[in-house]
Amino acid sequence: MRAITELFGRSPFGPLVQHTHKVHETVREVRPLIAAFLEGRHEEVRSIYDRISKLEHKADIIKREIRDHLPKSLFLPVDRGDMLKFLKEQDAIADTAEDIAVLLTIRETPVPPEMHEEILAFTDKVIDVSDRLVQAASELEELQEASFGGRGAQRVLELIEEVSHGEYEADCLQTEASRRLYVLEDRLDPTSIYFIMKLFRLLGEIANHAENTGDNLRMMLTKG
Amino acid sequence: MELTPFLIFALAVGLFMAWNIGANDVANAMGTSVGSGALTLKQAILVAAVFEFLGAVLVGAHVTETIKGEIISPGFFADDPMAFMTGMAAALLGAAIWLLVATALGLPVSTTHSIVGAVVGFGLVSVGWRDISWDTLGPIVVSWVVSPLCGGLLAFLMFTFVRRRIILAEDPYGATVRWSPYLVALVGFTLGLSILYKGLRNLNLDFPFHVAGPMCLAIGAALGLAMRAWLVRRPRPTGYSVGAVERLFAGLQVVTACYVAFAHGANDVANAIGPIAAIVQTARDGVLAAEATVPIGILVLGGVGIVVGLATWGYKVIDTVGHKITSMTPTRGFSAEFGAATTVLLASRLGLPISTTHTLIGAVIGVGFARGMAALNLRVIRHIVYSWVITIPAAALVTVVSWYALRAVFG
Repeated sequence: MRAITELFGRSPFGPLVQHTHKVHETVREVRPLIAAFLEGRHEEVRSIYDRISKLEHKADIIKREIRDHLPKSLFLPVDRGDMLKFLKEQDAIADTAEDIAVLLTIRETPVPPEMHEEILAFTDKVIDVSDRLVQAASELEELQEASFGGRGAQRVLELIEEVSHGEYEADCLQTEASRRLYVLEDRLDPTSIYFIMKLFRLLGEIANHAENTGDNLRMMLTKG
Repeated sequence: MELTPFLIFALAVGLFMAWNIGANDVANAMGTSVGSGALTLKQAILVAAVFEFLGAVLVGAHVTETIKGEIISPGFFADDPMAFMTGMAAALLGAAIWLLVATALGLPVSTTHSIVGAVVGFGLVSVGWRDISWDTLGPIVVSWVVSPLCGGLLAFLMFTFVRRRIILAEDPYGATVRWSPYLVALVGFTLGLSILYKGLRNLNLDFPFHVAGPMCLAIGAALGLAMRAWLVRRPRPTGYSVGAVERLFAGLQVVTACYVAFAHGANDVANAIGPIAAIVQTARDGVLAAEATVPIGILVLGGVGIVVGLATWGYKVIDTVGHKITSMTPTRGFSAEFGAATTVLLASRLGLPISTTHTLIGAVIGVGFARGMAALNLRVIRHIVYSWVITIPAAALVTVVSWYALRAVFG
């Protein structure tokens, strides 16, 4: 007789925003991680790695919670597929941050000092891209309340545009930094070059995943 | 009319049914208003008590007449009025027992479906399969499928309007102040029409459309102007905010909460007092004339029963239901309640007993289709279908058993 209460399912939008924040906490650790690595403070690198690993695990738990509570019979105001892709890409941001932390703990590779500034600028750009994505994604709950339209949605679409542009800028910085690395190739052993290139690739991937997350967020907004 | 033990027994079962409607069913009708925060628990109880009662007394006669004498024609019992009265008592008892059993088992049941199934059971055991009025029963069964769809469509249209014109507007707050008086006026107009147009036969007020129409327009306009006066007196919040619009709509939702309570009282009171009306009128007159209108005293009795159920138990259930559906917001609640109440009132005027709960579920899903709801559990649709398939034969069967028992006891 109280059938009306059975109608109301658990909203996934609150947990999605929680996941956004947890992923962002993970990404924020990447800047101090890389600074510590460049300056050769390897003790600190390991302790930041521990923090990142714990945060990434928490993000994973939230992700699984969301997936476990999305039965096919749940009717959502957005496409389920888009929502799940959004979640997957957002989670990949935290995964990549963890990959970077793992990489930096496995070999104490010295990086030429003249490259430090450039690498930190590249890192900042990547984190800035992720920041903007977080701003956009954390609006999800309010967007649901506004039935995915109005000025809130406009603002989110603009932020997603900025994420896209930021990703392009991060790409450029990555190419620049890679070029500089090969200018110095005579002073570096091949293993170090391989290692630093890998670091660049992973940093770039954070921005890539942020862009993909933004794209999926846009799809959730625009088609029901 | 003498108060025989049989009559006292029938009245007691009828009052239990009315109590049960107030204790359990009203919570579904009020839950969306409490869940959204438009009404506090106390306000919800007050609104429910007043408007359930008014709906029962002012519009309750139509469905009551259907249950009382249109599914099974009293004409078959001209020679044996006691058989008719016993049958109606058995139907009441059968529906009541089935509701208790089903509730204990946690099955989804509707009071409306139980009583209709029970009356059909009485028909089967007395006049037989062929003399049940299928012309009446057919539309009732069709209305059970149509009413959630109709509630859903109206709620979809209403929320789509609210979304496009208000939530997505450049200035949502200004748009609310501009449009909402019209929405409230629409509620006032349909509510007025349901009462006044050929409705108040009990009070000897039988308005034709050219009289009732303008009166209802006036009621709607008055309600709209009152809403506008309330809106413009409020301080305008600065900046853009969906929250401010929702807070305004909480005021509008008070109106649809009354509307739902009224519609629920109008449709559901018959579930308890339809058979009672048949018994009391037959006992009084010796035989039930097909055209006899329902005495207002009996409608009042049903209304009182519902209010007592609300006061003794229903408030707890409203509280529980309200706490479980907090994802409802006033704009959504307003739209869903508008769709549901309009459908239920229309069905009431057509004399069709339908499930208010199922109509409201259809209406909330309609809002969902307009991208209004965060997450709806569509498995509930399966439960609705189960309740049709299980309740009718179950209530009918219990009624057949009750029939033989009552025949043995009261002769």
